[in-house]
Amino acid sequence: MYRYDEFDAAFVNERVAQFSDQVRRRIAGELTEDQFRPLRLMNGLYLQLHAYMLRVAVPYGTLSSKQMRMLGHIARKYDRGYGHFTTRQNIQYNWPKLRDIPAILAHLASVEMHAIQTSGNCIRNVTTDQFAGAAADEIIDPRPVAEIIRQWSSIHPEFTFLPRKFKIAITGAPNDRAAVKFHDIGLMAQTNGAGDVGWAVYVGGGLGRTPMVGKLINGFVPHEHLLAYLESILRVYNRYGRRDNKYKARIKILVHEEGLENIKGQVEDEFSHIRGGVLTLPDAELDRINSYFAQPAYVDHGVVSVDVEREKILDPAYGRFLENNTFPHARSGYTSITVSLKPIGGAPGDATAEQMEAVADIAEKYSFDELRVTHEQNLVLPHVAIADLRAVYDALGEAGLADANAGEITDMITCPGLDFCALANARSIPIAQDISRRFAAPERAKEIGKLKIKISGCINACGHHHVGHIGILGVEKKGTELYQITVGGDGTEDAAVGKILGPGFVADEVPGAIERLVDAYIARRTTEDETFIAAYRRLGDAPFKEALYGNG
Amino acid sequence: MAAISSVLSAPAPKHDKLKALGILALNGMFDEMDAEAVLRQAVDELLPGDIAMVSSFGADSAVLLHLVSLVDKNLPVYFLETGKHFVETLDYVETLKQRLGLTNVIALYPDSADLARFDPDGTLWETDPDSCCHIRKTEPLEDVLSGYGGWVTGRKRFQTAERGVLPHFELTSDDRIKVNPLAYFTNEDVEAYKARHDLPEHPLYGEGYKSIGCAPCTSAVAEGEDPRAGRWRGRDKRECGIHFDFNGSIAKPVSQSSLHLFKDGAFKADPWKAWAEGDEPADVRYTHVPVSVFVEHRAAFLASPHPIGLQVNPGEKVEDIEGDLARFSSVAINFRAFTDGRGYSSARLLRERFGYEGELRAVGDVLTDQIPFMRRCGIDAFVVTNKATREALEKDALAEVPLYYQPIGERHEVPAGTRPFLRRPE
Repeated sequence: MYRYDEFDAAFVNERVAQFSDQVRRRIAGELTEDQFRPLRLMNGLYLQLHAYMLRVAVPYGTLSSKQMRMLGHIARKYDRGYGHFTTRQNIQYNWPKLRDIPAILAHLASVEMHAIQTSGNCIRNVTTDQFAGAAADEIIDPRPVAEIIRQWSSIHPEFTFLPRKFKIAITGAPNDRAAVKFHDIGLMAQTNGAGDVGWAVYVGGGLGRTPMVGKLINGFVPHEHLLAYLESILRVYNRYGRRDNKYKARIKILVHEEGLENIKGQVEDEFSHIRGGVLTLPDAELDRINSYFAQPAYVDHGVVSVDVEREKILDPAYGRFLENNTFPHARSGYTSITVSLKPIGGAPGDATAEQMEAVADIAEKYSFDELRVTHEQNLVLPHVAIADLRAVYDALGEAGLADANAGEITDMITCPGLDFCALANARSIPIAQDISRRFAAPERAKEIGKLKIKISGCINACGHHHVGHIGILGVEKKGTELYQITVGGDGTEDAAVGKILGPGFVADEVPGAIERLVDAYIARRTTEDETFIAAYRRLGDAPFKEALYGNG
Repeated sequence: MAAISSVLSAPAPKHDKLKALGILALNGMFDEMDAEAVLRQAVDELLPGDIAMVSSFGADSAVLLHLVSLVDKNLPVYFLETGKHFVETLDYVETLKQRLGLTNVIALYPDSADLARFDPDGTLWETDPDSCCHIRKTEPLEDVLSGYGGWVTGRKRFQTAERGVLPHFELTSDDRIKVNPLAYFTNEDVEAYKARHDLPEHPLYGEGYKSIGCAPCTSAVAEGEDPRAGRWRGRDKRECGIHFDFNGSIAKPVSQSSLHLFKDGAFKADPWKAWAEGDEPADVRYTHVPVSVFVEHRAAFLASPHPIGLQVNPGEKVEDIEGDLARFSSVAINFRAFTDGRGYSSARLLRERFGYEGELRAVGDVLTDQIPFMRRCGIDAFVVTNKATREALEKDALAEVPLYYQPIGERHEVPAGTRPFLRRPE
């Protein structure tokens, strides 16, 4: 993991001191809320429906045990005993008091964390594959480059007042688990003809009210020129992105309106000026950062195998856990474990202070002190020895974290919705809870297989509903919360935006509607191995439309 | 030095009622070019027997002295005999006295004790021109000026950058009135007046001296150059001090009660103004011309000899004027709204790509939180109206994180090695 040096520490401390003073001035009445607003937004502090919300950055979703414990401590001491992990791999606290913010930030700084650029129209936290540095299918560990992008983008003087927020995602694996094509810039590791690894750059992806799949702007940018290329894109966006309409200000609209070729021309022209300049990344610097992300000291356990089928008979819950919540590791004898934050009937992404502390202890003992936050609002223990699996499962179980539903229908992404968010039109969490209860039976979930449901409480799409195999969008019509259902979205390398098949449903009808979609799929799939999304692609809208609305 | 006590013991202001009447109203009474009426109003109506003038008997002093001769040949006209004048200037004093019939020209000499103490070998002008001016001009004048309610000056708007907003009548901070009959005269107006009245030329004028002060600190100017460019050439000095009021700041009209331009660590008078509807490309001076206007009237602006600046509005492309950048002595980046960050890119392009080295100022919605970013992008002057920002600048207490992760250009940056990104092995 990256470790702060003196510079990083001083940088964060300066920022804490600066913001603490701004908070003090706000409390003392020296600043009005209007004046305070842009300042607090630069530090991740939102004013929500009921209280301030503090969003803490988890750069590229990587945490140490110590950091996770601190997040737990903050939840207990300054919030209501829990925190909410987000689709940006961050954590949000929903009930902090303004006067406590400086203390919270100081606590965070003590474990090399902060809230810088978790909001505002700037370059946000860089996100990546939750299995980065562990996954068997990886071409390159994306975290060192993510860290370099973090440094480059931190309080960038030219790009702090962009037309709109700007999100970068990066993946080192061909199987995209970071939804890079739905980010303002998506980076995918690529090998060129000479065998060198560089980056395919996608631009103009996004969700929100105008979902767009990112377009390939450059098929291969070498490491050393990546920052210059990013700066070129950002400069073109900063200068020409629309500022007349908040809803048309993301780079996806610029790319859409001007055309990819036009934008590519401008970016390449800018790149031709700055390429090879001061942003050129020397190998030595990449090596220096790389060294922070060295492989942990894996132990050779010999051939260790777990007979999943046998475990399923002996202990069905554990068997399901092995089936759903493990992920192939690059190192034999190891696996990555997804810790589900989607208990049946719970609020997706929430973890209590005790759970954070428990998972921190488990990571310390069994995962080389490392944890990840996933964009699907779960946690990951990236490096668990297969020999330790049972012990880890039992320890998770004690903390109420052994739900074996990773990747199943109840592993939903859900935004905070109208229960918390000032922007929302409808509740999201209760809908997720209803669906979760409807499909609570493990056998039923297993029968359905891999199916991603994603729920947003408004058009801003924080719950990524556009890329849900089944997406649910809460809207408000004539004082009633209605839920539009989309089908066929996909956030992976086979990126697709889901399609609305008809009118919305009231809240009570949603679980039933989902069930009808699921039944239609099961009835028509070729084999048990054909997933929902694969069946949808083969079958088209018709059967699903009929399932939702009948054939009248 | 005597001057200090004169400030401390200055009599109670005599002109409160005038202040109440409003200098502004006075300034609206006269046609811009009606210098004689302005002077007559001051000498006959406003301050009869209580006004004087100071003349340098320089290159264009003849115009004002001619006006004085029309209004009151006995008006006290003080001449600062600094001991450093060109011989030609001293001759010219006599020539004009004779020709115009002036009966009350009074020479003022520096205090000999001050000279002995501060400038024993007569070279202070070289090491410390401000102090030289102070001893030779400011101090001798102060005792005299405190005896008058007002004085007449020959200052003109076009002369130096700092004089861009000069009105006919000004109230100084100690309630005296400065009268500037020639405020709106251009160089051409001065020439035309001299020709019309057949006024004698300063002997050095024909040799390229367009603004003449003391011999050591005056040089000739080139064709098309700012006429005062020859004064204190090569030094960051534009005014001699005698046009500053007794509290040390520039005397200014009451309507311009505060200074908004922050540059080189202090708020200072701003000679520049924004391009306005109806301005003529050939005539404007010390005006920030929007990129679009410049492009439209490029030929006229390039032909004009006057100093002009450029204003880059959000959405305007600095690439459009890339080849003409040398024409501008100031560039203003307009940050129309706090949240509009286009100006940062414009600033970096001007500095880093096009090599612009002149003043680069931020105008518009400029707040404390942006200034550190602006500085890093190459902006070195700020027009600030926000009170909190003003205080932060004055106290040098900006909301700032003084550590930088990413390299930005080459200017105004901390050494490369302090940033992780550039922490390369030696």
